[in-house]
Amino acid sequence: MRIGIDVGGTHTDAVILQGDKVLASTKALTSADVISGITNALDVILDDSGIAQSEIETVMIGTTQFTNAIIERRELAQIAAVRIGLPSGNGLPPMLDWPQDLKDALDSETHMLHGGYLYDGWSLADIDDAEVERMIQSMLKSGVKNIAIASAFSPINAEPEKQVASKILEAIPNAKITLSHSFGRLGLMERENAAILNTTLLPFADKVVSSFLGALKKRQLHCPVYVSQNDGTLMSADFVRSYPALTFASGPTNSLRGAYKLTGLKDAVVVDIGGTTSDIGVLQNGFPRESNVIIKIGGVRTNFRMPDILAIGLGGGSIVSADGSSIGPQSVGHRLVTEGLVFGGETLTTTDILVASGNADIGDKSKITHIAPETISNAQATLHTMLDSNIDMMKPGGKPMPVILVGGGAVLVTDGLQAASNIHRPEHAGVANAIGAAIAQIGGEAEQMVSYRTLPRKEAIKQVTQIAVQRAIDAGADAKTLRTVDIEETPVPYMDESSTCIRVKVIGELTASISATANNNSEALV
Amino acid sequence: MKIELKHLEDLALGSVFLATGGGGDPYVPRLITEQAVKQFGPVEIIQPDDVSDDAYVVAIGAVGAPTVSLELLPSIDEAANTLRAFEQQVGRQIDAVASFEIGGGNSLIPIAAAAGRGIPVIDGDGMGRALPEAQMMSYAIAGVKPTPAVALDYDGNITAFSTKTTEVYERHIRSLAIAAGGMITTAEHPMSGLELKRSIIPGTLSFSIKLGQTLRENRGSARDMLEPLQTLFSDSIYGECRLIFAGKITDKATRIVGGYDIGEAVIEAFSSDEKPLKVSIKNEYLLARQGDKVVASVPDLIVIVDYETSAPINAERLRYGQRVAVFAVGCPDFYRSENALKVVAPRCFGFDIDYVPLEQI
Repeated sequence: MRIGIDVGGTHTDAVILQGDKVLASTKALTSADVISGITNALDVILDDSGIAQSEIETVMIGTTQFTNAIIERRELAQIAAVRIGLPSGNGLPPMLDWPQDLKDALDSETHMLHGGYLYDGWSLADIDDAEVERMIQSMLKSGVKNIAIASAFSPINAEPEKQVASKILEAIPNAKITLSHSFGRLGLMERENAAILNTTLLPFADKVVSSFLGALKKRQLHCPVYVSQNDGTLMSADFVRSYPALTFASGPTNSLRGAYKLTGLKDAVVVDIGGTTSDIGVLQNGFPRESNVIIKIGGVRTNFRMPDILAIGLGGGSIVSADGSSIGPQSVGHRLVTEGLVFGGETLTTTDILVASGNADIGDKSKITHIAPETISNAQATLHTMLDSNIDMMKPGGKPMPVILVGGGAVLVTDGLQAASNIHRPEHAGVANAIGAAIAQIGGEAEQMVSYRTLPRKEAIKQVTQIAVQRAIDAGADAKTLRTVDIEETPVPYMDESSTCIRVKVIGELTASISATANNNSEALV
Repeated sequence: MKIELKHLEDLALGSVFLATGGGGDPYVPRLITEQAVKQFGPVEIIQPDDVSDDAYVVAIGAVGAPTVSLELLPSIDEAANTLRAFEQQVGRQIDAVASFEIGGGNSLIPIAAAAGRGIPVIDGDGMGRALPEAQMMSYAIAGVKPTPAVALDYDGNITAFSTKTTEVYERHIRSLAIAAGGMITTAEHPMSGLELKRSIIPGTLSFSIKLGQTLRENRGSARDMLEPLQTLFSDSIYGECRLIFAGKITDKATRIVGGYDIGEAVIEAFSSDEKPLKVSIKNEYLLARQGDKVVASVPDLIVIVDYETSAPINAERLRYGQRVAVFAVGCPDFYRSENALKVVAPRCFGFDIDYVPLEQI
């Protein structure tokens, strides 16, 4: 049996899963100390299910704590950003186009060093020991402890990053260092940004992970603890102490993964209808389809992968025009319970239309008897057309496909949808995020630029796959269950005819033995 | 007019539209140019007609693989140093610089160069869009020789070129780019003011700024973007602008042939039974077909944009499942001349069709 917990900004949700079955679920408020919110949620589900703590094998946590910290500019540590790539990029220091308020919040210093590699493995420049020494002296002076290091083409050769890191550690033994190649992907500035954001979250990550583990310990849960990443896979709670940035955007991912778990549908459109928006995402082979645009976190360009989500202004609080011909994007939002007609307010909302159509019994029906029947039917038609055309835009092919409705506003869909081959309304849809966290898998990813002239294609893919497999095993995957889910080859134009960028992603189940190790580590650190 | 900091974001956005899928991401060139303008001040932009006939002008830009520039970042003084190296090589001062390609990052490099060297930049370029080879430049088509030319790499190594034909020049700089880590900056096609006037595609720099501004101010669905775009293009050297398709990418396959990223993207309509649109790619989007019917072809511009925001999408970022719209824009008249079509017609890219101007389709 596993427990899934979603620690959001407002709510902390928790579920107990036995195989595919949801034994208990709850929504509690997130507490300022994080701990009591989790213990409150745990109390409810353990109580409701009557399950003993000893029967819980793993706890999986999804959290928006770190994304929120960056967006709200709080809990951020002083950092140094080190770029290794001179003489290239001279005059383009790290964090050049970051929002000023975020730079201020980080109290940052930047250093640029000679070194790095070219695409073909040729040395860009040698590392200059005197230059490194001068940098370390300046770090000792400023007292900075959290350091991000990025070097040119480090996804191909990370030696310069490692070399400089070990020199810093000799002089500043308690420094916490993030190396950019841990964040994969070519794109020096975006990879460097990811490493810097990660670095500035390190002390907070310690605090949050300790809160997580502390809350579980308080409730006598001594099983291994994992945290979900943005790609729907897991990392051990201790790994989060070093890589908190990997949790960015795990929320929408968990919601989509939860919808998959609740229905068993591997390929489907998921529509999460809230108070103000409907978020439409796509499941492909049980995982969210990723967005391909540059993702900004708190105004900073990063290389993180995020689910491809189309948000439209349609929810339970959306304002309906008098004739029902248009809906939203304006919404009364959380003021629905005072401003909606059925609640004695003055604004015609989609919820009022729903009640007037006789499909739901919410609030005071007598307040909506004046709505003309044409307005009701028009508004219902408008709502379904809006969903239909936007689902059409999101789904991969022209044919109708299964649609999974989740979120409080799912009741608004009263008729069929042309874009849907069938409509699924799973039970427990309100805690889809926590369920998504509970079923996450372990993944590994690697990316390299290769020349097929010096390395045959098959061999190159094999090499990159091996790195991905090793990364997955290091993160806690059972080697026997690992399978390749994605191979992406990007030819590099203008280069010799066989230069290609290969990216491989593998995923698999958690391994029992590694879980035990992770557990021991967690215990030791609490 | 002077190019100031505030213009650079719009210029970068407009240049991606004009890049028709190629040209590389102008993000880093924009950062470089911003730094240069901050350090040296705004750059004077002059109309080709205002350049004196005996002025000495050179075209400047980066040559190489866009993917490499993601890691091997340019330096703030690289473009200006390329000009200095060129001046030293020919023993003569340059009066102004021009872009050789308005599509993508090369719209910005000349501005960084001009800022660092303290000379004006000319309002215009050698393509009016992005195209893959040197002999396709308007300068070359009008008979301007590419050399003497100078290339600078990331470490300041200088290579001088003196070649007999544009084709050989193209092969040589390509080889140097590969040997120099994948990216070089070149100063080439030196010309007099008189030669410039008859070979440049005029006004494209200021136009790209206006185009970026239009895309930014009207950000939203491609269907709503059509009207402001038509208004803008109809009053320019381009003319016709059409929204030729909207749908989602259902297939995209590219491979490298002869140093180019060659392939095809298939776009299916959102819900209707309309035939899918097939867009052929050779670094740039070159040909759009529905079944056997050609909807638009090079040298006219084919531009794929994000359906919801109308933000143009480079070919390397095009991917399965994306929701897109496709615009077609008529090319400047220069490229419809017999001389120009000899090097930029669909057949020059291996497509067995005649060029039919967009307005006649």
